[in-house]
Amino acid sequence: MQIFQSDLLCIGAGLAGERVAVAAAEAGFSTICLTLVPPRRSHSSAAQGGMQAALGNSIMGEGDCPDIHFTDTVKGSDWGCDQEVARLFAENAPIAMREMAFYGCPWSRVVPGEHTYYKGGKPFKAVEKEENWGLIHSRAFGGTAKWRTCYTADGTGHAVLFTLDNRLVQLGVDMHDRVQAEALIHDGDRCMGCIARDLRTGELRAYFARATLIATGGYGRIYKATTNAIICDGGGQICALETGMVPLGNMEAIQFHPTGTVPTDILVTEGCRGDGGTLLDVNLYRFMPDYEPEKAELASRDVVSRRMTEHMRKGLGVKSPYGDHLWLDIRHLGEKHITTNLREVYDICNNFLGVNPIHQLIPVRPTQHYSMGGVRTNKDGAAYGLKGLYAAGEAACWDMHGFNRLGGNSLAETVVAGRIVGAKVVEYLQGDDNTVFSTAAMRDAAARVQERIDILVSGRNGRENCYAVRDAMQEVMMEHVGIFRNGKDLQAGVDKLQALLERSQHIGLQGRNMGFSPELSMALRVPGMIKLALCSAYGALMRTESRGAHAREDYPERNDRDWLNRTLATWSEGATLPTLSYEDASPYFELPPGDRGYGGGKIIPGDIPADKIRPFGKAEQQEAK
Amino acid sequence: MTSPSIRKHTDNAPVVVPSRLDIIQAITGVLLILFLWAHVFLVSSVIISPALMNGIADFFERTYMAQIGGPLVLLLIVYHFLIAARKMPFRASEFMTFWRNARSLRHKDTWLWVVQVVTAIVILVMASIHIYVVLSTLPITAEQSASRVQGGWLPFFLILLPMAELHLGIGFYRLGVKYGYITRASRHVWQRNEYVLTGIFILIGLLTLVRFMLLTN
Amino acid sequence: MRKLNIDVFRYNPLDPESKPHMQTFVLDETPSMTLFIALTQIRETIDPTLMFDFCCRAGICGSCGMVINGRPGLACSTQTKDLPDHIVLQPLPFFKLLGDLSVDTGTWFRQAWERIESWIHTDKTFDPNEEEERMDNELANEIFELDRCIECGCCVAACGTALMRKDFLGATSINRLARFYIDPRDHRTEEDFYEIIGDDNGVFGCMGLLACEDVCPKKIPLQDQLGIMRRMTALQSVRGIVPKFLLDRLSPRRCGCSCSEQHND
Repeated sequence: MQIFQSDLLCIGAGLAGERVAVAAAEAGFSTICLTLVPPRRSHSSAAQGGMQAALGNSIMGEGDCPDIHFTDTVKGSDWGCDQEVARLFAENAPIAMREMAFYGCPWSRVVPGEHTYYKGGKPFKAVEKEENWGLIHSRAFGGTAKWRTCYTADGTGHAVLFTLDNRLVQLGVDMHDRVQAEALIHDGDRCMGCIARDLRTGELRAYFARATLIATGGYGRIYKATTNAIICDGGGQICALETGMVPLGNMEAIQFHPTGTVPTDILVTEGCRGDGGTLLDVNLYRFMPDYEPEKAELASRDVVSRRMTEHMRKGLGVKSPYGDHLWLDIRHLGEKHITTNLREVYDICNNFLGVNPIHQLIPVRPTQHYSMGGVRTNKDGAAYGLKGLYAAGEAACWDMHGFNRLGGNSLAETVVAGRIVGAKVVEYLQGDDNTVFSTAAMRDAAARVQERIDILVSGRNGRENCYAVRDAMQEVMMEHVGIFRNGKDLQAGVDKLQALLERSQHIGLQGRNMGFSPELSMALRVPGMIKLALCSAYGALMRTESRGAHAREDYPERNDRDWLNRTLATWSEGATLPTLSYEDASPYFELPPGDRGYGGGKIIPGDIPADKIRPFGKAEQQEAK
Repeated sequence: MTSPSIRKHTDNAPVVVPSRLDIIQAITGVLLILFLWAHVFLVSSVIISPALMNGIADFFERTYMAQIGGPLVLLLIVYHFLIAARKMPFRASEFMTFWRNARSLRHKDTWLWVVQVVTAIVILVMASIHIYVVLSTLPITAEQSASRVQGGWLPFFLILLPMAELHLGIGFYRLGVKYGYITRASRHVWQRNEYVLTGIFILIGLLTLVRFMLLTN
Repeated sequence: MRKLNIDVFRYNPLDPESKPHMQTFVLDETPSMTLFIALTQIRETIDPTLMFDFCCRAGICGSCGMVINGRPGLACSTQTKDLPDHIVLQPLPFFKLLGDLSVDTGTWFRQAWERIESWIHTDKTFDPNEEEERMDNELANEIFELDRCIECGCCVAACGTALMRKDFLGATSINRLARFYIDPRDHRTEEDFYEIIGDDNGVFGCMGLLACEDVCPKKIPLQDQLGIMRRMTALQSVRGIVPKFLLDRLSPRRCGCSCSEQHND
């Protein structure tokens, strides 16, 4: 078995992983990135919309500041977020954007003069200021008070990822692509790297590292209809969960995107609605203003998704062979706008749907999109439970998103958290110089993985088809842990998933295993994915309230009295359900729980102890004292 | 943070040979294009009248432009060939790779390059013969040319003419493409121009040959 | 509904029993079917050992470049309705074959970026408290236009030159360098660029075949960039020989703004 050593091991080389790698490499630490695909193919590249940062350069973002960004984020999270982290994020976001500009990101810039913008499908004119010429521009996104989303035409994720990866090439960070992490190496106290499979040869490798970062993105592939890439199977979260020590936070908080296309589930950006796209029903009637008079299509994602489902349940959806859907209308934005600012959308519609959005309506439906939950970390990005283990980006539950994240906040989180966590990892590496790599721990981890592979190849425990088991899990998640949830369905879902977990122990390969076997990759993943699914479903079942993206029909109110907290899920070896515990949502509240101003719904108020309330905007000064 | 450079800096100035060779290939190409256009035009004067052609030929011979220019053109052709041949697939495996790719792609511009390689070799041989024969039997007269064409050289010219014009037309187009004068926006227009130009010159050449065939002493 | 006959190239270099051959799979076509859907169906229901690469399945990540009925393209954005009943799929040539339809683009691109030093070269340091360097939006768009390359490898796999000469940098690298050429934040001079691409493995290797231009799934203006970079580089080599006024006339403009001074910091 090949053994590699480094100071930092990044599992995942999307934006978050790469940003942390840059920080470590800049500080002179040896860094290895593991990635399933060449880094520039990471799913970060697919984020079209943009990154929120309170730069306030655009006329519609004038007067913006981290305070307002913080407020929007907390409201968006439905008060589920860690306010200390949300504050940290809002304050650092503008710096991270400028840093990307410095590294070479071609952000769209302010063009002074009168421009026609759209809000709710209606054009209006605004004059960009002369003195802001050439600064980073921003566009509208749902759930924000100001236009705050920095963007690069409609390929923001792509542009920032390539910029950052160029920086990695410059710094000479070791990139090991086509490598799949299978298990963390740890001694119960400290994480020392991971055991991984080389996806070129199928061989196992060991990676020893003083610090290990999980930045593998989301776990959307536990759903059938998801906008996530094929690789978003929750590999990092599974590795963390399998240790039995590292908890996953808020796994039930799963966001659905209002505009996944039908039937391919490819996302068209929120920018469509931000720029003035409207949602129409089967009668071509614009229904959103009826539900959300104030924000209409621009309410936060969870609200728009729920309203769409609600509307379709009234029988007003468009029937199709792939199920009901609604229409997204961007025709009025005009050919020029669609083929420049929304070009990726234009391409997607033409190439994957056979629809020309300049003249035709786009079929859309809410589709699984983002997982707010993940490896629970503290504000430094250090995972609970194991020393030397970090997480950042969508893979982490850092937790600035709470129960719903705002469009543009997740992409921003990758580089902002990457910057902050990166600095903390460097601090850790500088402070820790006595890590002893345990060969015993490594052998133990490798033996477990090898054992699993042997079982799958030999078919000792059975020959269940891994794809069939996976499909069954995805169906259960769609059916039972979707946008609207209730106790009965969730319980049934949990039961079915438990049965599937048992079934997954009998998976065996159908085909030969020579060199790299794609089937083996999936077969190794499926049991872990079912465990993640169980964390989500069981967490959702236990959480008897509605908050953000977690909407319980049987508990429609947000319950700040009993549920202003975060679910932590760990998995004991041999268990069939996660062990749940809870911690306070936020160490303190700059912004005490209140009404979001959209989405409706009742709130059961809770008592916040006086010592947990901090004056707004003064948190940092408080900290300094 | 300054940017470390992994490039190997040497004390020597950067190597300019490949670049200058490319420029020379372009310039020799352009000169040959201009020469061939002029050549075809001048010889086609026979269509109007053999006397006109004889007059022009006489002028070039008396000024020794033919005697000196002829070998120079041959030299230019050889030189152009040698430089351009840097890109030719001389190894069988390279050639097969290119051939397979062209067949699989069904892509016109890729095929055109094959045409250029084939025509280049044909031109090199035939043009040398042509120049040798003409210069060793001076003076150039319409009558002598006619008797040559009628005396069995017709197939020779029927091959050389389209080969030369194809090579020239494609080369002209590709030169524009390579140096960014023919852009994505203007490519299709230029492709059409190239066809038209090649067609016109082949036509003029054929008419000239017909005239030579019909010319009686 | 049509029956699709899909011929797939099969070869597993790590399996001593495997020999390169074509294997035919028969599938029922469904509405809006893409090659992603078709190949996934084959792997999950007919032959689990079939190797191919998909990631975003939305034409954004560039994983699934393959030769589709003779031409390189992205499998995920190829709809079967646009193809005949008989579909032939082969791996991209040029790149190292990992198995069946899967090739190693990652290693090649990484090396290419190291060769052309694909990053902003500057002596400045980042100051978190300073306003970002201003840039004309037109220029930002021009840079992004070139930065849109998804590194699928189709342009290289279709290039006759690259197939014959393995060291050729290919259109994607030259386009990537063109992106830095027009970026005022990159302080490299024409001479620096010449050093990187001024030879037969760089711009002068290009024979103007334009297959890159014609197969690029993102419609990156490769032809124009190759032209601009070749002209710039060629002129660089005759600086001092050709009179300056002529050089200036022939030189392509570096970027859309009036920042020529900045480039020469």
